[in-house]
Amino acid sequence: MNPHAKLICTVSLIMGTSITISSNHWILAWTGLEINTLAIIPLISKSHHPRAIEATIKYFLTQSTASALILFSSMTNAWSTGQWDITQLNHPTSCLMLTMAIAIKLGLVPFHFWFPEVLQGSSLITALLLSTLMKLPPITLLLLTSQSLNTTLLTLLAISSTLIGGWMGLNQTQTRKILAFSSISHLGWMIMIISYNPQLTILTFILYTIMTSTVFLSLAQIKVLKLSTLLISWTKTPMLNATVMLTLLSLAGLPPLTGFMPKWLIIQELTKQEMTPMATIITMLSLLSLFFYLRLAYHSTITLPPNSSNHMKLWRTNKTLNTPTAILTALSTTLLPLSPLIITML
Amino acid sequence: MSPLHFSFYSAFTFSSLGLAFHRTHLISALLCLESMMLSMFIPLSIWPVENQTPSFALVPILMLAFSACETGTGLAMLVASARTHGSDHLHNLNLLQC
Repeated sequence: MNPHAKLICTVSLIMGTSITISSNHWILAWTGLEINTLAIIPLISKSHHPRAIEATIKYFLTQSTASALILFSSMTNAWSTGQWDITQLNHPTSCLMLTMAIAIKLGLVPFHFWFPEVLQGSSLITALLLSTLMKLPPITLLLLTSQSLNTTLLTLLAISSTLIGGWMGLNQTQTRKILAFSSISHLGWMIMIISYNPQLTILTFILYTIMTSTVFLSLAQIKVLKLSTLLISWTKTPMLNATVMLTLLSLAGLPPLTGFMPKWLIIQELTKQEMTPMATIITMLSLLSLFFYLRLAYHSTITLPPNSSNHMKLWRTNKTLNTPTAILTALSTTLLPLSPLIITML
Repeated sequence: MSPLHFSFYSAFTFSSLGLAFHRTHLISALLCLESMMLSMFIPLSIWPVENQTPSFALVPILMLAFSACETGTGLAMLVASARTHGSDHLHNLNLLQC
């Protein structure tokens, strides 16, 4: 892509995100969301492949609808309360519409259908941006309004997201679709706890961003787009396959890796709030996603030497040093002992 | 709810229903998106007059500018889909199924 266009798109993404997360007025928040949508469209469609164009169209339609719904819900609230403050969204219809609009924006069930397809149609780095950076403004809006939102609805969205994210990821062989469903189930965990302890949502989001970035960057380095490529990719960077395994298990939420921290704290908070059946249900449902994480981890390490397969191996890449991936891998596997510090700092 | 608010509400709702139930062409979806934006422009224009807050008078222009950018992007996607898929039929967008 033209470097000038790439620069404009990247700077606009950062600017749009900053505008939304630092705004107090709904119009400014909507502006930031629109800038984000407009800026990422060229990034998704830059290869001009039919799949990329299709992904862009689906992304554009869903996100524009959601932005319009957000603006309309804030307008309805302004008619009845006379102000446009984000934290003062009190009208019940506005809260309902806002929850639905943010669910469309984030890809929560039942509005999740666009997300795997859009991730599948974009390149790995663009998919990383779609999963991490584009989720930040809607989560911020949800955090600011979390006091007035309907708890039952949020719990329902959360549990169904974890269910669908786990269940539909089981039959996938394309890594981008698998990561899309993992993203949906992690968002379910985040939404579960948002009305009880919003700090835990922030923590879950930060840790999810770190772990997902690690996986995406590692997969982008060995250019793995489907499971069968993962089997033969150890020739490119053998160390990377081992660290991909650890990061995937961390995403699955296994102790003693970092991914256990948000799940543990969320279950603790839910139990304190007398929501023990919900905690049990959501933990059981994340076992579904554990299966496909384990399958990915298995595929990345089963053919390491001295076990090999008869497939044609991939050629080595030139670049073996990738500092951001290394730092993020270290963070996403070893942060659990620091959890008392992190909880205090929240 | 006053009749005026009801009319704005129903204009937006019908446009969004049209967007949700579009069947054949991408352009009809884009038209419904535009009408959703238009149905929000008119209340935003009335707001500063009704509440005597002239500081809000520029907001409908801002909203219109961004929705025009969005419509331009949508039309660019329409042209792109015509180049890659041959038409703007929505049932042609099936390359990325699970």
